[in-house]
Amino acid sequence: MDDKEKKRVWDTVLTVLEAEVSKANFLTLFKSTALLSLEENTATVAAPSTMIINLIQKRYLSLIHKMLKDQLGKDVTVIFVPKTIQAESVSQKDAPLFAGATEAPKPIGHLPRVRPDYTFQNMAVSSSNQLAYISATTVAKNLGKMYNPLFIYGPVGVGKTHLMQAIANDVYQKDPIKKIIYITSEEFTNEVVEAIRTNQTHAMKKRFRSASLLIIDDVQFIAGKDKIQEELFHTFNILIDHGAQIVLSSDRPPSEIQKLEKRLSSRFSGGLTVDIETPDFELKTAILLIKAKKYGVELSIDVAKVIAQSVEDTRSLEGALLRIITEAATKGEDVSPSLAQNALQKRADRDLHPLHAEDVIKHVCEYYNIKTTQIKGPKRDASLVKARQIAMYLLKKKLDLTFVEIGNVLGGRDHTTIMHGVEKMELLVGSKASLSEEISGITKGLR
Amino acid sequence: MKLSMLSENLQRKISFLNHAISTRSQLPILLNYLLEARQGKLFICATDLEIGIQTEIPANIEEEGVITIPAKTFSELIATLSQEKTTLQTRGASFDVITQKSKTSFPTMSPEDYPKLYEEKGEKIASLPQKVIQKELGKVIFAAGIDTGRPALSGIYMKKQKEGFLFAATDGYRLSLKNTAVEKEEGAEDGSLIVPARVFKELMQLKEEDVDVFIAEGKNQIIFQAGATIIVGRLIDAQYPPYERIIPLDHGSKVQFDREELQKAVKICAIFARESANIIRFSLRKNSLVVSANSPSVGDNTVDVEATLTGEENEIAFNARYLLDVLGNIEENDMLFEMTGPLNPGVFKIVNDSSYLHLIMPVRVQG
Repeated sequence: MDDKEKKRVWDTVLTVLEAEVSKANFLTLFKSTALLSLEENTATVAAPSTMIINLIQKRYLSLIHKMLKDQLGKDVTVIFVPKTIQAESVSQKDAPLFAGATEAPKPIGHLPRVRPDYTFQNMAVSSSNQLAYISATTVAKNLGKMYNPLFIYGPVGVGKTHLMQAIANDVYQKDPIKKIIYITSEEFTNEVVEAIRTNQTHAMKKRFRSASLLIIDDVQFIAGKDKIQEELFHTFNILIDHGAQIVLSSDRPPSEIQKLEKRLSSRFSGGLTVDIETPDFELKTAILLIKAKKYGVELSIDVAKVIAQSVEDTRSLEGALLRIITEAATKGEDVSPSLAQNALQKRADRDLHPLHAEDVIKHVCEYYNIKTTQIKGPKRDASLVKARQIAMYLLKKKLDLTFVEIGNVLGGRDHTTIMHGVEKMELLVGSKASLSEEISGITKGLR
Repeated sequence: MKLSMLSENLQRKISFLNHAISTRSQLPILLNYLLEARQGKLFICATDLEIGIQTEIPANIEEEGVITIPAKTFSELIATLSQEKTTLQTRGASFDVITQKSKTSFPTMSPEDYPKLYEEKGEKIASLPQKVIQKELGKVIFAAGIDTGRPALSGIYMKKQKEGFLFAATDGYRLSLKNTAVEKEEGAEDGSLIVPARVFKELMQLKEEDVDVFIAEGKNQIIFQAGATIIVGRLIDAQYPPYERIIPLDHGSKVQFDREELQKAVKICAIFARESANIIRFSLRKNSLVVSANSPSVGDNTVDVEATLTGEENEIAFNARYLLDVLGNIEENDMLFEMTGPLNPGVFKIVNDSSYLHLIMPVRVQG
């Protein structure tokens, strides 16, 4: 018999008892009882103390015995043992003295919304982000005591998020008990709105206002949202008052965020405001070497230089690196500067010419030597119809446009016409070799 | 049943029994005393199911018997009796208390419904001298929690050591530890118990002789026998927090001070801390321990307590109540305070007494 079953049996007994005995008796005697085990012909019941057991046995043993017999369909001996049944595992929250000692202070898992691999250790530092890096490490070491708030700003892809999550991870590793909240201003907005909607602002306020470390990413997005700004303002004041640390990031300094209340922007600037500049060539190279290590690849500095030179955006660095690693693996070659160069070249070409509906139409027209106005026009000459249907087919297959969209680019044709054309071509491509040749001729020109 | 005795003998015992009568009891039977006359003695029991007290009074028994009577009115009546011979007897369903001039009759309830305090005394584990209970446990039990939401913290932790017992109490904000060289019984097995702090508090009020401690069969009850009085408590079946782990091994600053001086200083500052969450600051300086408190609306004050500092100067803040508790429960005057930083627990010790330690979680303050 499993725990659930035992609980069910005993709950039924209790329900009957509740009706049979006075409320006072029930609360004093039976409230903390439980069926511990039920084996063969013996039911073991736990009650908090010997005196309570004594009372139960004196007055209710036969009743309990009868009820168990009714439920189980057999005679059982009822034995009582003194045992405190604890409601649930008691939290340690109200015992701050043991906060660090009770559960082994080891971080379990990672923080919500925070990537565990964003740490100070794997952050590349150069002159462009050195100040921000040092401020962040200082803040992580002295929560709420040094720079409060710490405001980090800079353009996209310079590592603001990495730095902020590194603070969160660092604090979490050292003291997993600390309440750390990492949130984007978008999520913050959603939580506030949701709390207002479900009428649970109190819980929301309590959550944010009890944090030891509050990190809000991309705070510029609260611009123009008055209610959210007000909430943040109060949260901000309370946290600073309590000595909690606040870290904020934005794409521009507080003073330049439009539609941000004065009182907030002055508070944002109240601590330390640092900027991160776009990474220079050396930093990008360093980032690449760190990332390569993460993927377990030996990357020579020459290759890293090649990539750093041709990729502007920091965020694209990782993508480019992965491409090169994959390419080298498929070809079975080592990652060499020339391989990198090639891979990047190809990618750059494609990036320059994304496949476009008009391109497809143009190629079809060129192949059959007709004008784009003709293919889009109303005429239904046999040669035009064929070219048009091939265009429909290719637009469907290569670009996966909807029938309506294809109809639109082909001079406002009805979607049923397009469906018919595509279906016809699908049939013909399978059966007529000359047609598939023509199509591959067109598509070759597309790339 | 019928017996007679001097009312004075009854008066002395009865008020203590009331500690086990809960005014809020849900069960009518628990508002009663169980009276039992046998073998030349009158036994009186009271219980609220959490603790039980039994006491015996020599009496002239004419007829043995057992009955329950309303505790409150009975004890009030006994308290008013002048010193004289009092006869107690059952008469049908009622119970009479007869003196020379007065006659009182109480309704009774069936003794069958009264819970038995304990079955057997069980194994004797120790004998606590009265001195130990009064002087040493007093330094510990005040630190226990009242909250029953965390059963372990509402108890006193008793652990058998090589020599005697270790007593510990904590409410999660402070911790008291005391090693006592109590003689434990030969063959008593090692282990630890958690005893409700209330049982010890009652025990301290019994200023009788030494106390024998028994653990009842099944290890769920503890029984203290002090002369003619027995206190029975339920053992708390829970995990005690890992108190060893929070005791600082090292300290950066240490001051020696006079307990009474500091107690006075804290009392004064407590007045000014009342409005600001009872927070009192300690500033450890070269030749003094500066105690201060302030609230914007009441004012602020600072008291210098003469002290000698070893180590670096330091600052820390505590809740005044915790400070007053520890300073008020210790008798020795030469004390030590040790700390490492404003966020680490502060430790109070008694000079030349390594068996005691009290630890308080500091309050975190700004600036």
